Amino acid sequence: MNAIPREPWREPPIGLLAELTHRCPLACPYCSNPLELTARERELSTEVWLRVLEEAAALGVLQLHLSGGEPTLRTDLEAIVARARALELYSNLITAGVGVSERRLEALAKAGLDHVQLSVQDVDPEGCDRIGGFKGSLARKVAFARAVRALGLPLTLNAVVHRHNLDRLERFVELALELEADRLEVAHVQYYGWALANRAALMPTRAQLDRSVEIVKAARERYGDRLLIDFVVPDYYATHPKPCASGWGRAVILVAPDGRVLPCHAAPTIPGLDFPSVKDRPLAWIWHESPAFQRFRGFEWMQEPCRSCPRREIDFGGCRCQAMQLLGDPEATDPACSLSPHHARIRALAEAEAASAPPPFRYRRLAEPAAAVPA
Amino acid sequence: MSLAPEDRLVLARGVRVRFDPVRNCHVLLAPERVLFPCPTSVEILGRLAEPRPFAELVAGLAAEFDAPEEEIRADLEGLLADLVAQHVVRVERRGP
Repeated sequence: MNAIPREPWREPPIGLLAELTHRCPLACPYCSNPLELTARERELSTEVWLRVLEEAAALGVLQLHLSGGEPTLRTDLEAIVARARALELYSNLITAGVGVSERRLEALAKAGLDHVQLSVQDVDPEGCDRIGGFKGSLARKVAFARAVRALGLPLTLNAVVHRHNLDRLERFVELALELEADRLEVAHVQYYGWALANRAALMPTRAQLDRSVEIVKAARERYGDRLLIDFVVPDYYATHPKPCASGWGRAVILVAPDGRVLPCHAAPTIPGLDFPSVKDRPLAWIWHESPAFQRFRGFEWMQEPCRSCPRREIDFGGCRCQAMQLLGDPEATDPACSLSPHHARIRALAEAEAASAPPPFRYRRLAEPAAAVPA
Repeated sequence: MSLAPEDRLVLARGVRVRFDPVRNCHVLLAPERVLFPCPTSVEILGRLAEPRPFAELVAGLAAEFDAPEEEIRADLEGLLADLVAQHVVRVERRGP
C-alpha cells in the first residue's frame, strides 16, 4: 500500500452518473448494480438530489446520466431534469423503456431532457423477455423508441451483447436504423456485479466476438453517416485493458441510490476503501480530496509492468476492480492486459466457459432468491 | 467532402455548445460525448443552431472577419468535414 499524502486533485469530473434507484422492472443477469441492492427506504430524497446537482455543476460536471435501476420509477424525475437544465447540465436518461407512458416522456422532454438511451436486450421478442425477465418487453421498447423520436429527442439504442444474442447483431443494427436512432452502443458484457455472477452463462466464444467486430465494421462503413456506432469489446479476450471509467477518479463521479459516492460501479468490491456519502460531505471534497478517490490516481500505486509502461497514461493499468476480483490485488495489472502474467489463464477461463453449455441465469432481483430460468 | 453553396448545415440532433466557467472554455455536449472545440469551431457552431446554406455561412464569416470569401471557404470545408465526420454537424442536401 502506498499511503502517500497527495495534493488535492485539480481536474474536474466530466460526468455524473446518478443512480437514482436500484428498483427496476427488468432483471437482466448482467446488471452493473451490486449484488446487494439498496431498498427504496434508503434512497436519497429529492431535496438531496437537487443539492447534489448544484454541487456537481459547481464542481465542473457537464453531463448528467440519470440511471438506476430504472430512473423513471422515481416520481421526482421531472424535477431533477428541470434542475439539471437550469444548471445547464446535459441530461441523459438511461432507461429500459417498458413502463414509461407517452405523457411521462413528454413531461420529461418539457423539463429539458437532452437525450434518451434505451436498452434493448434482444431483437427477438422471446429472447428479449428471457434476458430481461419481463413479458412483452420488446414491443413496449419499440413503442417507447418511436415516442422518443416523435418528440424530436435524440435516441441511443444500447445493446448489451453476449452468447445468447450475438448471433442477431445485424438485426440490432437494422432495428436502430428502423427506429431512426442517432446512436447504437454495442457493448459486450463487462463482468462485474451480476454479470460476474453470471459470467459462464454469458461469455461469448472467440468466434462470436470476431464476427461482432466484422459486423460493426461493415455497419459503420455502410451506415456511418446516419448512425454512430460505439463498440465495447469484452475484456477477457482483449489485448490491452480498457481505461476503466477513463481512469480512477479522473472523469466520472457516481452517486449510488443511498448517497455513497464512487469512482465506478464496482469500486465497493475493493476492500479497505471508505466511500463518503453526499449526506455527510460536500461533493467537491469527496472528488478532490477523499482518500478513496485519491487511492488510484497518478502512477505511484502501480506495480510493474504498468509503472514503466508507455501505455500507462492511456489505460491507467486497466480496471482496479477487475484486478481485485480476478487476482485479489487491486494494485495488480488488470489481467485483461496481455502483459499481465495472468492473462493467459484469464483467456483460457473465458474460452472454457464459452465452450461449455450455459448454466441458468441468476436473475438480478432486489431480494434473493430468484427462481432460476433455464438460459 | 465538398459542399455546394446551397447545402444547408445544422447542428446534429442533441448537440449543444456552451461556455463552461469552471474550465474557462467552450464545451460541446452531445449524447455520451463531450468535446472541447477550438475558437474557430465555436464561431461556426454558434451560427448553426438553425439550418444555414453553406454560401451564407461563408459570406457571414467573411464579413465578420474581413477576409476574402475564397479563403474562408477553403478553411471551412476541411473543418466542416471534420465536424460532419464526428456527427456534430449535419448536411441537408436537396434531392439528387
